[in-house]
Amino acid sequence: MQLTHLNTRGEANMVDVGDKQETRREAVASGRIFMQPETLKLLSDGELPKGDVLATARIAGIQAAKRTHELIPLCHALALSKVSVEFEIDVVESCINVTSLCRLNGRTGVEMEALTAVSVACLTLYDMCKAVDKNMHIEAIQLDSKHGGQRGDYQRLNAHTPIVTGEGVAGEVSLGQRCSSPCVRVKFLAELRERVGESEAVVSLDQLASRDISGLKAALSARDERFKQLTDQRTLCAINQVMANDDALVTDDDEVAFFPPVTGG
Amino acid sequence: MASVDIKVAIQAAPFAMAYGYDDALAGRSDIGAVVSFTGLVRDFNETPEVTGLTLEHYPGMTERTLTEIGEQAWQRWSLQAVRIIHRVGYLAPGDPIVRVLVASAHRREAFEACDFIMDFLKTQAPFWKKEHSTQGEYWVKERHSDQQDAARWRYPS
Repeated sequence: MQLTHLNTRGEANMVDVGDKQETRREAVASGRIFMQPETLKLLSDGELPKGDVLATARIAGIQAAKRTHELIPLCHALALSKVSVEFEIDVVESCINVTSLCRLNGRTGVEMEALTAVSVACLTLYDMCKAVDKNMHIEAIQLDSKHGGQRGDYQRLNAHTPIVTGEGVAGEVSLGQRCSSPCVRVKFLAELRERVGESEAVVSLDQLASRDISGLKAALSARDERFKQLTDQRTLCAINQVMANDDALVTDDDEVAFFPPVTGG
Repeated sequence: MASVDIKVAIQAAPFAMAYGYDDALAGRSDIGAVVSFTGLVRDFNETPEVTGLTLEHYPGMTERTLTEIGEQAWQRWSLQAVRIIHRVGYLAPGDPIVRVLVASAHRREAFEACDFIMDFLKTQAPFWKKEHSTQGEYWVKERHSDQQDAARWRYPS
């Protein structure tokens, strides 16, 4: 794999995108800022000296996305068609989860814009709250997903998703993340979830050498070493909540679950 | 044959020790036998001092699997009501985890069907136990004896 921002002599180089097709592109990025519970309470009650913290941070994030090319040297100026910045207050972890979505019809990806929006929104939150809390820290600024463009879609394996217990409705297949191209949604349950360190993953059908469970296991194993334990004989599998074995076929939007032997009763 | 009367429930909240009894028998006088099994959290299992356990399940598949097990029992024996309830989430020693109630005209069928349902619940329903003990927490391992118990019900081939 080659770095596109370097030329053959290893010098910084702005990529010429003039010949690329315009496509619809979208990127979602997220980050978190942790603070004292008292700070979080002041913030949600609107009692901080600088006023409405979230509204200010949202505007800051949107403005930053539009000016990404001024901050990151080799980024192109993009005519974004949509920028959103959302906040979710997490009282249990005492943090704010910041998520940004950027979209455009164009020739380059928008992940830098989404990452910049999250970064600046987090920095603005810090600035708005620092009078009462200097211990805040920002972490896990990351790209969550990316759609469109010649390199195809990207979906981060989601380590923060809560365990499956309690979601879903009795008798219905619960819907996890959706994807734009044909894919299967994979869940890891119980001890297996803890051992692979993920609760969910999305795998594009295009990535499967064979469109069955063994093909899915192979694609996941190629993605990360940890998934090799899926081939353990004790690991069980269900497709759309019905038990399945290695040669069972998978189709678009199937929910596939991997789990250890059951121990209820 | 009487219409199928199977009800299953998964819940985090505790259930009454008599769960299912009044509901299964309401307005009926053709039932001659009721057998129920209640499973409780022991304070000793893989380690001697279990302080509690957390039960995880696979919502949707759990209910479907329990209903199918009930239906298999319904086909195999002449039954009049089946009630299955299983708890999930955190449970303390002494807490009821599971209750299976089977009503039939005669005791033998109710005894066997209740035994059958528990054997298949333990080996097929997607529940997983994590035990908390004074020595830390760990996922409970499946037992070979549970598989052998379920295998008793195979029809001779």
